[in-house]
Amino acid sequence: MAQILTSKKLLHNLTICLLILAVVMCLCTFVGSQRISLLKALKGPGQSPGYNIDYEIFIIRLKRVILAAIVGAALAASGVILQALLRNPLADPYILGISSGAGLGAVIAVLSGITFTFAAGSPMAVFAFCGSILTITLVWYIGKSAAKSQLTSLLLAGVVVNAFFSAVIMFLTSIAKSDQLRTTIYWLMGNLTDKSSPVLIIASVSVIAGITLMFTLCNKLNAMTLGDQEAHALGVNIPRVRLIAFAVSAFITSVAVSLSGLIGFVGLIVPHAVRITFGPDHRQLLPLSAIAGALFLIMADTAARSLFGQEQLPVGVITAIAGGPFFLVLLAKYSRKVSWLK
Amino acid sequence: MKTVIKIEDLHFKYPKKSVFAGLSIEVKEGDFVCIAGPNGAGKTTLLNLLCGLLRPISGSIKIDADPVKSYSAKKLAQKIAVVRQEFVPVFDFTVTEMVSMARTPYLGTFGFESKVDKELIAEALEMTDTAQFASRLLAEISGGERQRVFIARALAQNTAILLLDEPTTFLDLKHQVRIYDLLKKMQLEKGKTIVAVTHDINLAAQYCDETLLLGPDTTYRHGRTGDVFSTEQIEKVFAVRTFTGRVGKEKFFLPLGKFAKDSAAINPNTKGDTKNNTPSLSP
Repeated sequence: MAQILTSKKLLHNLTICLLILAVVMCLCTFVGSQRISLLKALKGPGQSPGYNIDYEIFIIRLKRVILAAIVGAALAASGVILQALLRNPLADPYILGISSGAGLGAVIAVLSGITFTFAAGSPMAVFAFCGSILTITLVWYIGKSAAKSQLTSLLLAGVVVNAFFSAVIMFLTSIAKSDQLRTTIYWLMGNLTDKSSPVLIIASVSVIAGITLMFTLCNKLNAMTLGDQEAHALGVNIPRVRLIAFAVSAFITSVAVSLSGLIGFVGLIVPHAVRITFGPDHRQLLPLSAIAGALFLIMADTAARSLFGQEQLPVGVITAIAGGPFFLVLLAKYSRKVSWLK
Repeated sequence: MKTVIKIEDLHFKYPKKSVFAGLSIEVKEGDFVCIAGPNGAGKTTLLNLLCGLLRPISGSIKIDADPVKSYSAKKLAQKIAVVRQEFVPVFDFTVTEMVSMARTPYLGTFGFESKVDKELIAEALEMTDTAQFASRLLAEISGGERQRVFIARALAQNTAILLLDEPTTFLDLKHQVRIYDLLKKMQLEKGKTIVAVTHDINLAAQYCDETLLLGPDTTYRHGRTGDVFSTEQIEKVFAVRTFTGRVGKEKFFLPLGKFAKDSAAINPNTKGDTKNNTPSLSP
């Protein structure tokens, strides 16, 4: 009989992928426009700030690598969940309007000059998080009340809300001052700037908890990709699973967006790349996509901050430029043929 | 034989159409029952009521003496397996992955198949003759093979009752017969109670013990298949002129429209010549 996914096999694949992630995280911490010495960096901060510059750069980069890992994992996991729920291979974490909601929140924060912070997050992060949560709630209720065919009406509600909020964003940016405009556009393109340790801790706990919760529903997600009638026949409580999955997906996407702005492509191509390589079983697809998303964004961000010396590109530009060809190569060559990981 | 499905005084309607008004039937354990009738008579609606996707307006549907509505989705999936028309899933599942989904209602929190689950999956693949292409993707196999995979999944679900909604639609003659042979095998060897919605009354006549014939305007007839399928009933319910013949004990019906080649050769009382099982159209 052909292979069925076992916990042992999943553990084996997870271990390999986590090891690769750890190695890439270490390597990327030492890559950048400024060379640092590992030995010097490991000596610690020294007597005063600025005493050991290698250590300080190391810490800044480490935080950034961790941030990229959290955001990449969240976006990829969210993409997996939404592609399954909507049974739509083109779904990404922003499909239901989260991007425009978060963007609107961030633009309002910039234009109003608010300095309010919460849980160590910047005003833009706080407003973007609130904007995305409010938007997804709005889309959910519009979708639920509009029609019986909830998936289609959800998608349509997402498209309409997205278009409306995008128009509001364009209006607001058109009346913004030049420095506000630069901040806003930079945020909208997606970038991974320095975040404090408490923010990273809160974000990583939130994202890991969300992915773990979803992992317990993965066999039900498998059934839900076959449609409501099939999922019901296989004993899935559809309204419950759908609500939890949407809530988790919206939450982890909101966390990611509030930390990094709008980074496109990760949530769309990483799940597909993992699905092509390992198959569509969500028990494996979800955790491996999260790891692959983290890997991809860490490498993209390392390129974004290293390619042009002191100048940094928005990471969203790199993910889009590198992601497309990378995905096409995968699609053409490696379709479920990576034997050493099977 | 105990009653496994009991429908009493069932009423159901859509906003602009009444579908059932007082339907009452019982299905005994191990029976092979077909639900036939014209489009819109409520065949699939009844199947959806049986598997809990729809709720009746009044009346009751009981599975093993308990109302369907008292079951959770998970518990109901441990009693009833459903096979619908074959389809290609959005994502590329292999045959084994699809069949192993049958164990979803039995899996624990982290959802991995136990040894027993794997044995049931392997047995289902063997019984349906799908083990030979178990590692292939569903998109790569034919419609008939895919339908066998969905039946294998239902078998691996290890339920006493199997509901099928037009399982042979889009399949060629060979595959239609293979599917019905497989279902009969499951009935005889595994003791499954099978309820199949079908448009193919001739295959139903050959394989099913009982028939529920749904007619227009909420009428219905239920009984032994040979009794329910009469020329008069078929012509009345489907509103089509038929030629009736026999293969052995069982009747078969050939619908003939106004412009069919041999339409002029039959009159309403034409009967086939059963000698050597070669029906004739001559009066």
